[in-house]
Amino acid sequence: MTQLQADLLVIGGGATGAGVAWDACLRGYRTILVDRSDLADGTSGRFHGLLHSGGRYVVKDPRAATECIQENMILRRVAAATIEDTGGLFVSTPADDLSYSDEFLQGCLDTGVPVEEISTAEVLRREPTVNPAIRRAFAVPDASIDAWKLLHALARGITDHGGRVLTYREVTALHRDGDAVTGATLRDTRTGEETEVDAGFTINASGAWAGRISAMAGVGDVTIVPGRGIMIAMNHRLVNTVVNRCTMPADGDILVPIRTVSVIGTTDEPADDPDELTVAQDEVDQMLHAGDQLVPGLRNSRALRVWAGVRPLFRDARSQSSDRDITRAHTLLDHRDRDGVERFITITGGKLTTFRLMAQEAVDAMCRHLGDSQPCLTREQVLPGSESGEYYTVRARLRAREADPGNDPLVCECEMIPRGRLEREMREHATVNLDDIRRALRLGMGPCQGGFCTYRATGILHEVDHLDAATADEALVAFLEERWKGSWPILYGDQLRQARLDDWIYQGLLDVEHLPDWSAT
Amino acid sequence: MKPEVVVVGSGMSGLAAGVALAEAGVGVLVLAKGAGSLQLAPGTIDLLGYAGERVTDPLSAIAKLADRDPRHPYALLGAEAVADAARWLSSRVAEGPLAPYRYVGSPEQNMLLPTALGVLRPSALVPETMAAADLRHADRIVVVGFRGMKDFYPSLIAENLMRATGGAVSVRATQIDPPSGLDGEPGTFRLARSLDRPGEAAALAARLAAVVQDDEVLALPAVLSIGDPHGVWETLQRVIGRPVCEIPTLPPSVPGLRLFDTLRALLRRAGGRLVTGSHVVGTKGSGDRVEAVRVHVSGGERSYPTRWVVLATGGVASGGLTLDPDWRMWETALGLDVAGVPAPEELRFSSRYLDPHPLSRAGIAADRDLRPLDADGARRWENVLVVGAALAGAEPWREKSGEGIALASGHRAAQLILNAERRVQETVPEGVAEPIA
Amino acid sequence: MSVAGHDHDDVLGDLMRGSLDHCVKCTICEQYCPVSAATPLFPGPKYAGPQSERFRTDEESVDRSVDYCSGCGICTQVCPQGVHIAEINSRARAKLKHDTGIPLRDRIITRSEILGKLGTPVAPLANASLRNRPLRVLGERALGIHRDAPVPAFAGRTFRSWAKHHVAAVPTSDRVVFFYGCGTDYYEPRLGEMAVEILEHNGFAVDTPKQGCCGLPLQSSGLFEDARRYVRRLAHNLAPAVRGGATIVAVSTSCSLMLKREAIEILGLEDDAELRLVSGRVRDICEFLVDLHDEGRLRTDFRPVDARVAYHAPCQQQGHGIGKPALDLFALIERLHVDEMDARCCGIAGTYGLKREKYEIAMAVGEPLFKQIRAVSPGLVVCDSETCRWQIEKASGVPSVHPVEILHRAYGLSNVPDGSAINGNS
Repeated sequence: MTQLQADLLVIGGGATGAGVAWDACLRGYRTILVDRSDLADGTSGRFHGLLHSGGRYVVKDPRAATECIQENMILRRVAAATIEDTGGLFVSTPADDLSYSDEFLQGCLDTGVPVEEISTAEVLRREPTVNPAIRRAFAVPDASIDAWKLLHALARGITDHGGRVLTYREVTALHRDGDAVTGATLRDTRTGEETEVDAGFTINASGAWAGRISAMAGVGDVTIVPGRGIMIAMNHRLVNTVVNRCTMPADGDILVPIRTVSVIGTTDEPADDPDELTVAQDEVDQMLHAGDQLVPGLRNSRALRVWAGVRPLFRDARSQSSDRDITRAHTLLDHRDRDGVERFITITGGKLTTFRLMAQEAVDAMCRHLGDSQPCLTREQVLPGSESGEYYTVRARLRAREADPGNDPLVCECEMIPRGRLEREMREHATVNLDDIRRALRLGMGPCQGGFCTYRATGILHEVDHLDAATADEALVAFLEERWKGSWPILYGDQLRQARLDDWIYQGLLDVEHLPDWSAT
Repeated sequence: MKPEVVVVGSGMSGLAAGVALAEAGVGVLVLAKGAGSLQLAPGTIDLLGYAGERVTDPLSAIAKLADRDPRHPYALLGAEAVADAARWLSSRVAEGPLAPYRYVGSPEQNMLLPTALGVLRPSALVPETMAAADLRHADRIVVVGFRGMKDFYPSLIAENLMRATGGAVSVRATQIDPPSGLDGEPGTFRLARSLDRPGEAAALAARLAAVVQDDEVLALPAVLSIGDPHGVWETLQRVIGRPVCEIPTLPPSVPGLRLFDTLRALLRRAGGRLVTGSHVVGTKGSGDRVEAVRVHVSGGERSYPTRWVVLATGGVASGGLTLDPDWRMWETALGLDVAGVPAPEELRFSSRYLDPHPLSRAGIAADRDLRPLDADGARRWENVLVVGAALAGAEPWREKSGEGIALASGHRAAQLILNAERRVQETVPEGVAEPIA
Repeated sequence: MSVAGHDHDDVLGDLMRGSLDHCVKCTICEQYCPVSAATPLFPGPKYAGPQSERFRTDEESVDRSVDYCSGCGICTQVCPQGVHIAEINSRARAKLKHDTGIPLRDRIITRSEILGKLGTPVAPLANASLRNRPLRVLGERALGIHRDAPVPAFAGRTFRSWAKHHVAAVPTSDRVVFFYGCGTDYYEPRLGEMAVEILEHNGFAVDTPKQGCCGLPLQSSGLFEDARRYVRRLAHNLAPAVRGGATIVAVSTSCSLMLKREAIEILGLEDDAELRLVSGRVRDICEFLVDLHDEGRLRTDFRPVDARVAYHAPCQQQGHGIGKPALDLFALIERLHVDEMDARCCGIAGTYGLKREKYEIAMAVGEPLFKQIRAVSPGLVVCDSETCRWQIEKASGVPSVHPVEILHRAYGLSNVPDGSAINGNS
C-alpha cells in the first residue's frame, strides 16, 4: 500500500475541489486532490455551461447575483481560455409576465449586473432564430464556460505548483485521531489498489456527495438534497448568445451555446440519490416544449443527447421552504465550530461560476484554523493556458485545421480531433476508458455520437497503449453503452436516423455483439 | 415520361425490383432522394446470420424463421424466394459492367468472414475479392493495413480473430506504406482510386509479396478498385502467388459502390431510368389505386403518372421512416400506416445498447403480395408494393438479413407486377405467343 | 417542405444552416464530390458543409478551404438525408469573401451582362485579344484568369436584336416566354434563334421581354448583394408574363436552376413574391418538350439524323431533378446514336475553372469525362449548359452543341442538306 503525505487533502475533483487545491497550492500548501472518477464527472461536468452574469438571480437572490457578476469578471481575467464570450440575453416571451422585466431591470441595477435594454429588432438581428414574438429584451454579460477546459487548466496549475491530482481514487475511510481528521484511505477503482494519505487538513468539496464524506468523518447531519436537473444538447448552435427567459427561474428557461452545441435546460426535482441519473420521458418532452418558447421549431430540430446533473443543495435543518428555495448560494461548514471535529471543513452548494470564491472561503477558513495568513492569489493568478487573455472561440478547431491540414487525419470528424492529438492524450492520460478521452477532447460528442470515431479510437488505443484485444474491445463496448445512456431517451428524427446508421456500423458491419466474450447474456 | 412502374428508392430492394422489371421489358423509373444505401453497406449478401444462434445454413434457417415468426418479412416471402433472388443477383453481377467480377457462395451455406473488428460474421454470398478470408477454411492469415489509414486496424483484427477461433486459425498483422503519390490522407476511396491507375496494382503486389509468408492468405482493407476489381485482385494474387482478400470497413464502402454501380448500369442497359435528387412526397389517386407519384423538385412539384409504385425507401436509416418529437412514426413518401410502433408513453428502447429494442421492428405491415396493410390490417392500395427495409418485423442489422430481405422482396415485387400485367394482357386474342419474362 | 401528412416547415428547417442537422456523416457526398477527388485543397463537402458549419459563427471566417468548392451541387443531389450541402458551402464562401475581400477578377468575370455589352460592339477585336497568347498571359498575371481557360467568342450581335425584329410565322394564342440568358444573348444567339423556331414549330408564340442576367456567376463567387439585385430585376421583368399564364422556357440549365431554386435558397430570397412566382413556372426547354410529348402535343415529325453524339448532363441540369429529358427527345429521332456519358462534372462549374488557382483542378475534375469522350470519339458532344460546352470543346477537341441544335436539325428547320455534319452554332 502506498503512503502519501500532504498538508491538505481535497476530496472532490469538480470545480470547487480543484479550485480549493489550486488556491491552496498557490499559498504554498502541499496538496493532494482526489476524485472517485475522472475530473468533472460530477455536477461540474453535467451543467449547461453558463458563466452567470447574475441576471438569473437579481430578483430572487440578490446576494448570489452580486457574487456571480464579481466572479464572472474575475474568471474572465484569469481563465479566459475556458470561456466563450457569447454575451447573454434576457427576453420576455409571450408566456412571461411582463412586470417581471421591470423587477429584473431594477434588480440588475441594484446588484451591479451590467444591463442594457435592447430592441426586439436588435435581438432578431443578432439571433434570427429567437422567438419573434418577444416583447422586451436585455443584454447582460453572460458567457459560456467549458468545465473540462477549466478542470484541466486547474489540474495543470495544481501539478505545476507541486500538487497531486489523483483520479479514480475513491475515499473509503476518513481517519480520526481523537477529534481531528488526519487523512484518508483511498481505493483505486480501476485496480483495487489502496493508498493511505496522511493530511494535515481535509477539505470536503464533494458536492452532492458531501454528506457521505462528512459522515465518514463522524459528522452525521450534513444533508445535501440532490437537486436533479436535465439538460438537452441540440446538435448545433441554434443561437450564439446565451438566451434566458426573463422570468422567475422556471424549467427549460435557458439556452446556452457552448462549443459546437446549444444546451437547453433545466429542471429541478429533488432526488434521493445523486448517482441516480436516468432520465424520464416526460422530462424530455417538457424540456423540448420549453425550448420551443425560446426558439420556435427547436422541438423539430435535432437533439443530440440528454443527461441529468445534480445540484448540491444544502438543506439547513431549520428551514422549511421548497427545494428551489434552498439556498443556491454556497455553504461553508466549519466542523470545529459546528460539530467539534477538527481539521475538517465542508464547502458545498453554489454554482460553477462562484467556484473560485467558494475555494477562497474554504482555504481562508483553513488558514484561520492553522494560524496561517497567506493571502489568496486566485483573483489575479492566471490559469495555465489563459496567459494570452484571449477568450476561447468555437472556431478554434476549424482554424487550427485550416492552418495545418497536413496528413494527420481527423479521427473524430464531428469535433475535428486529429489523430496526433488523440494519441497524445491517450499517452498522457494513460487510460483505457474512452470516456476519459471524451471529456478531455470531446471525442464522440458531435452529431454521430461516436458512430465513426469509437471504432477508430479503439483501434488507436489498442496500438498506442499496447493493449490486448480484450481490453480494447471492452473499452469500445463500454463507450458504446456510455454514449447510449444519454442517447436513447431523445431519439427521434435526425438523431434516430443517426443512431440506426450507427447500429448498421457497429452491429451490422463490425458485429460487436459477437465479439469473443461479449455475446449478449 | 410515362413509366409503367415508379420505384421509390435506389437501395438494394429498389434497384433489384427496377432491374428485374426493366429486363423484362417494363418501363421503369427509379426516383431517389439521394444516392442509396448500398454505398454504405459492406457489399456482402447477408441472408440470415443469426436466429438466436449463429446460422450455418441460411436457407433452412429462413424456412424455420418463416414458420416461427409470421410477422417477419421472410414469412411473407418464403425461403425459396430468397434463394431465387440471391441466385438472380449473382447472375446479374456476373453479366454486369464489372464482369468477370462476381459473387461467390451459396444460399445454403454461410461463410464466416472477418469484420474490421475481427469478429466472425456469417455471410452467404460475397464478392470473389472477399472469399479467401472465409475462416472455415483459412489456416494462416496475415492482415495488412496501410499506415495512416484511419478506418482499419490490423493488429486488433488479428488478435480478435485468434481469440474468436480459439487459436485454430493463426493470424498476424502488419502495415505497409500507402502507395506513393496518393496526394492526401490514405482514406478508403483515395486508395481504391489509386489502384485504378495503370501500374499501381502491380506495384502494390510487389511490395505485398515481400511481406507475405508462404502459406498465408493475405487480407487487406476493402480498397481493391472501383472500376476493375477483378483485374486488380487477379493481379495481386498472380504476382504475390497467394490468395488475397479484402475486409470491408467503415463507410464509404468500395464493394458497396461496386454493387450500386452494377445495378445502376444494368438498369440503364435495360432501358430503365434513375433520377437522383428527386424526393417523393405523395401520390395522386382515387379509390384503391395510385395514379401518379408526386415529387418535390427544384421550383415546385411534378407528377409522374404510373400504373405501379414500388416503395423501396428503406427504414429509419434511410429516412423512409421517421419518428417525430411526439413519438409518432411516419412513412415519409406515401404516408402509409406504420406498424409495430410503441405508444408514445411506452419504451421504445432498452437502456442497454446491445439489448433488443422495442422500436426496432417497426415498419410497414404487408401481405404475401407485398401490398401495404393499414392500421386495421386491410389493403390500402392495390397497385403499391412495399419492399426492403421499409417492411415491418425484422431487425436486419442484428440478424444479418438486410440484403436477403431486400433482394427477395424486390425480386418478388417485380414478379408480382409482371404476373398482374400478364393477367391484364390475357385479353389478348389467342394465338399470340406470350413471352415468358 | 411537407412530408406526407407531417409538416416539417419551421424557421430552423428552412434555413440552409438548419439543414445541417440532417447530416448523419454517411460520407456519400464525399464519395461523389469531383473536386475533393481531384485535389486535397478541398477537404470535401461533408467537411466544408455540415461539419464546419457547426464551428462557424458571425465572427470572421477562418476556413479558406471552402473557396475550393466549385458549387457543382452534386453533393446536395446525392445526399440521401436532404442536407443542402452545396448551399451551405456557398454561403460560407460568400462570408469568406466578404471578410477577406473580393478580388477584382471576381468582380469582372461575374458580370456577364456588362462584359457582353462591352464586347459585342468590338467583337472581332475582343475575340482576337482573348485568343492572343501574350495578352492572355498578361491577363493571368494581372487578373488571375488562367491563360488556357476556355473563354467563348463574342458573336458580334445579340440574340435580343434578332428577337426584336423577329416575326412569328404562324399566329397563335399559345404563348411562352423565352428566358435566353447571357450566354445565348452575347455568345450563341443562333442557339436562341433555333430554340424559338422549335417552339414556334410546336405551335407556340414566343415572347422575349426585357430580361437581364440571373446573377448566378455573382452568387458563385460570393457577391451575394449584387446577385440579389440582378435576379430580382430579372424576376420583376418576367413576372408580368407569368401572371398572364405563360410558362418560362430556358435553354441554359444553369440559369434556369438559379431561378427555380438556387436564388431562393442560397440568396435567402424566400420572401420575394415575384421570384417565387417566376420560379414555379420556369422550365428547361427539354423538360418542356418532353412534358408536351407526355400530353401528346409534341410534333414528332423528326427526320433521321445520321450522327454519333455523346451526351453529358451538366451538374446543374441534374440539379433540376428531372432526369435527362434530352435523352427522351433523342430517342424519338431515328438513326441518331447517343452515347450517354457517365461522368460527374466537366470541371468548369461556371466561372470556377477560369480562375488561375483553380484551372488545373477543373481540368482534373473533368478528365474522367474527357477520357470517356475520347474513347467514344463522337462527332459532337451534346450538353445543356454553355460554359460546360466551352470547357468540353476546349479540353476534348470535339465540338459541343445544345440539344436544341439536334432537334432543330431533326425538325428540318436548319436549311442544310440532310446528312451534312452538324457543326455547332454556325
